[in-house]
Amino acid sequence: MDPKTAMYVAQGIHGLAYGMILFLVASGLNIIFGMMGILNLAHASFFMLSAYFCYQFISMTGNFWVALLLAPVATALFGILLERFLLRKIHALGHMGELIITVGVSLVILAGVKIFWGTESLPLKIPPVLTGLVSIAGLDYPVYRLFIIALSLVVLAIMALLLYKTRLGKIVRAAVSDADMVNALGVNMPLVFMFVFGVGTWLAGVAGVAIAPILLVFPGLADQIGMDAFVVVVTGGFGSLSGAFIVSIIFGLLSSYGVQFLSQLAPLLMFLFMAIVLAIKPTGFFGERE
Amino acid sequence: MTNRVLKWILWIVLFAVLAAYPKLFGIYYTNLFVTFAVFAIFSVSFNVLLGYTGLLSFGHAMYFGAGGYGTALALKHIQGLPLLPAVLIGLVSAVVLALILCPLVVRVSGTAFAMLHLAFGQLMHMLAYKLRGITGGEDGIGGFPIPAFSIPGVVSVDMKAPENFYYFAVIILGISLWIMWYFTKTPFGQIQVGVRDNAMRIDYLGFKVPQTKAVVYVVAGAFAGVAGSIYALFQNLISSGALDIFTSFTPITMTMVGGIGSFFGPVFGAAIIQIIEELSTRFTEQVELVVGLILILVILFAPMGFVGLVWSLRQKWSARSVPAASLGKAS
Repeated sequence: MDPKTAMYVAQGIHGLAYGMILFLVASGLNIIFGMMGILNLAHASFFMLSAYFCYQFISMTGNFWVALLLAPVATALFGILLERFLLRKIHALGHMGELIITVGVSLVILAGVKIFWGTESLPLKIPPVLTGLVSIAGLDYPVYRLFIIALSLVVLAIMALLLYKTRLGKIVRAAVSDADMVNALGVNMPLVFMFVFGVGTWLAGVAGVAIAPILLVFPGLADQIGMDAFVVVVTGGFGSLSGAFIVSIIFGLLSSYGVQFLSQLAPLLMFLFMAIVLAIKPTGFFGERE
Repeated sequence: MTNRVLKWILWIVLFAVLAAYPKLFGIYYTNLFVTFAVFAIFSVSFNVLLGYTGLLSFGHAMYFGAGGYGTALALKHIQGLPLLPAVLIGLVSAVVLALILCPLVVRVSGTAFAMLHLAFGQLMHMLAYKLRGITGGEDGIGGFPIPAFSIPGVVSVDMKAPENFYYFAVIILGISLWIMWYFTKTPFGQIQVGVRDNAMRIDYLGFKVPQTKAVVYVVAGAFAGVAGSIYALFQNLISSGALDIFTSFTPITMTMVGGIGSFFGPVFGAAIIQIIEELSTRFTEQVELVVGLILILVILFAPMGFVGLVWSLRQKWSARSVPAASLGKAS
């Protein structure tokens, strides 16, 4: 296999893996916004928190798989607490208040993480099964990236089943178009909101655990991906999961090939793309509402 | 004693305190006040957009940065440029940026407006960060000459002395606040509020909504530019950090804490945030924790900010049924 094709394929895998992670974070953000109209600016902080939980569970049990299961659930519990005890109380005040309170929560999470785990970068050990390269059809693929892609696809499948095959999914989809009406029909909407917020933060949590072994675990973990996920949601259109998926993959590939060919200007590409899309269609690719 | 006399006494006391401030509190607090003045101008210019016209911007740092870079680049490359033209260049560069963007952004409002600004703000930040040849990237432009404030043949004041710079900043703060306050009191300012409350009705009344928004937008950008310009002069440095998302969030926080429904709310907000940051750095290293908790508490217990809290207290004391102050419709 000539090295050029190998390079293209390797960058493609990196891009896909990052795109999938991005999609996990962005879909959580999107599902919360689509249903509740809340732009959760603390979303990326939950992502970071989950990476720390993962570190904690691994150092306690020594098992990556246990951490992969438990850390997102613990993160989701924090998300549910935020919804139940803060966001629900101020819902009547409108979106400005919700926006600011999530900024406050993200600051508190950042400070809390620094107090409990310090500011150094913490390394994570992953099981040997997931390290190294695997050779398929004469090309070497890094196993962990493939694992990330597979994990994201599994989560995506679970989400799709939940949304389109269950009664709860039906309620959620109805609530996205008109939450008040669903409430009037006798569904306990506050409970559904709480559940959806939990699922949204759980998705961020899964992404946090998945990315922790690649990047080290440190307090600034949230900065990059938080901004990127935000850009994805805005460009894809608020409340649109398919939009978020397509744009995530585009951005993942854009960033990995961009680094390859225009290393200096790669981060610009994404924002330029967003600015152009929004200038033409202010609601984003697939967004219908403002 | 009539209200009028009381008002004059209050003004005189205010001026006396401001004049004696550097002597009373020393150089450290003098510099702190200059920072406050910068962020007060910045936040009030932001609130002209949000509080009066209902446009929430996530990228107001663009104009702050444009002002700062305009002044810094002008002073670096033009030999012997006087002080006021340098500030004016900062203002003009922010205005030019606002004029370029406004045909695009006045078409939208609400979340789309906020998001569009997030996009452009991040684009500007990335440009400033990457174009090292012009902006110096993360290290920024520093060490440019700070000219003296001079009227030829009359007076020349050295601006490198912190005390003199303090007076300069206070005067700029006063002028900026007065102009913006006056701006919101004109009939045009009333149309602005109308656009916030019911844009369609204003349109039917025969006023031009996009053009109104454009004028407000340019004015808000111009004063953010002034704030950035003073900031660059004060620090003798401007870097890409001045354009980042945290700089954009600063005026939002200050406006929320101070009170979104009033003109002077953001000024109080800037003062309160400044004092809190100052006190918390003294007692604890966890400044983020303190600021975060305060944001949460403000939203939970005083959603109209400091000014709203004062209003409701006054209402309780006077125990009359005054019609509730109109809440910010921007939310």
